[in-house]
Amino acid sequence: MASTTRTTTKVMTAAEAVARFVRPGATLGMGGQNIGRCPMALTHEIIRQRIGDLTVVGCNLSIGMDQLVGAGLVRRTESGSGNLERFGTTFCWRRGIETGTLEHEDYSHLAMVSRFLAGEMGIPFMPTRSMLGSDLLAPAGAATSPTRGERPGKAVVTQNPWNPDERVVLVPAMRPDVSIVHVQRADPIGNVIIEGFATHEPEMMRASQHVIVSCEELISTDEIRAHPERTTIPFIYVDAVVVQRYGAYPTSTYGYYDYDGDHVAAYQQAARMGSPAIDEYLHMYVWGCRIFDEYLDRASDRAALDALTTSMQEML
Amino acid sequence: MPQPPRAAAYSRQELMVIEAARQLRDGDVVFVGTGLPLLATTLAQRTHTPNVVMVIESGVIAPLVRPTPISVSDPKAMYRAMKLGTLREVLGSLLQRGLIDVGFVGGAQIDRYANINSTQIGPLGAMKRRLPGSGGANDMASHCRRLLIITHHERRRFPERVDYITSPGFLDGPGGRQRAGLNPDFAVTVVTDLAVMENDPQTCALRIVRLMPGIAVEQVLAETGFTPTVAPDLTTVEPPAPDILRVLREEVDPGRVYLKAEESVETVRR
Repeated sequence: MASTTRTTTKVMTAAEAVARFVRPGATLGMGGQNIGRCPMALTHEIIRQRIGDLTVVGCNLSIGMDQLVGAGLVRRTESGSGNLERFGTTFCWRRGIETGTLEHEDYSHLAMVSRFLAGEMGIPFMPTRSMLGSDLLAPAGAATSPTRGERPGKAVVTQNPWNPDERVVLVPAMRPDVSIVHVQRADPIGNVIIEGFATHEPEMMRASQHVIVSCEELISTDEIRAHPERTTIPFIYVDAVVVQRYGAYPTSTYGYYDYDGDHVAAYQQAARMGSPAIDEYLHMYVWGCRIFDEYLDRASDRAALDALTTSMQEML
Repeated sequence: MPQPPRAAAYSRQELMVIEAARQLRDGDVVFVGTGLPLLATTLAQRTHTPNVVMVIESGVIAPLVRPTPISVSDPKAMYRAMKLGTLREVLGSLLQRGLIDVGFVGGAQIDRYANINSTQIGPLGAMKRRLPGSGGANDMASHCRRLLIITHHERRRFPERVDYITSPGFLDGPGGRQRAGLNPDFAVTVVTDLAVMENDPQTCALRIVRLMPGIAVEQVLAETGFTPTVAPDLTTVEPPAPDILRVLREEVDPGRVYLKAEESVETVRR
């Protein structure tokens, strides 16, 4: 398929989008936060195609990242946190770090979003006043933190050139090779409307070389033009639009459906137990499904999904 | 003076939430995660400090939280918010910018100088257990002038020195924050099921300022890995007023999502 201009239609299947834009060894930007709007349909497709050696980056990394780790596809993560709050930690991630099979670099959430901000602005780094005095300045794996931030590559402590009494931390720009984000609405050329909270996604999407979005609803470009102030991310940044109803399931999509706590808990149980439970989970719900709709059928049913929608409607 | 009628029974955990709520002042802009901090802030908002403004890391500004959110991305935490924005807006343009009064943080370890560890058990280079990491906690400890911590009081949670400084307290003591380039205008209150500890203005070390009802100083010391001093004006935490307890139970966490679940084995119902 020839994509000659940025206004060519970008609607394609998850399988096509992932095959085209996610390469082995890529730095993958993860949308969503905790149990909100995680790009599960796109994550499943990466697992289905077994695209590995990934570096996964984001602010809070949760169930999507953990499934990629559980599938053995992740070499490294860089984030502010890994957890699912009330549902516990991200167990595959934790196990990977503790056993040394997964590299991880810690930043604060503000430091990570500052890195994406530098990336989207086309500048090499961004100052922040977070992380000062903390062990977050030490590179991962360091036995001590004697030079706190002296090593370029993670963070550098320096003076404000205009006020030498003031210290700042410089964090390097983060430009993911490709980001995956699940959104409420998009048009065929990739104009994106995110409703409700948006976490780190706007900065991350604008910083990325490629962006794949999955959306609950495909709208027309005329609708975008009728209310251009509603556009969160314009088409210029976006490479692929995948239409996938319930594409964040079992996490929630603001305005559309609530999270499915039972299914999140079922995943967490498998993730906590590790092999073979996690492999069985992935075989059952990802490798054993040709497309995401098959997973939705196995994990839930129409009535249950409708109930999640009703639950969200009641909260608006 | 006739005493107001006391609640028939309350758990230490309930009192911990109520005591944390008492630390908030009307008009405070409070950066809050989920769990007990959210209960405390919601309780304060529905009782003595109606003008408390909540800010939540996912980008939520000024919600009227519905019971009981289990995540910062839970729509219940966004109910009737005035703005649903981005992480950079709240962590950068409010918190780092200096517009947040109080931050709630949690952690596996809190040391004498109120440094907080939510990254790993075991020192740098010798990790034993990986924890979730900073999230926005380091940002809160770096930029808030007042930090509130709610935690169970267990010896392993209060070591002399944390294994890893995720979120800076007073670092190595007086002048520590200034030397690191952090704002020295900083105060920490730790509310536990045994006591309330605050930083000593001179030494920066946490000291016992209030005891939970029925708890002796010795019990607190036995459950603290470092040896805190005792404030000269040591007092006892006020038991909950019945109407406050009712709001907590019936409006803030009616499903006892956190109140029940976070009750540890040693927390006895009085």
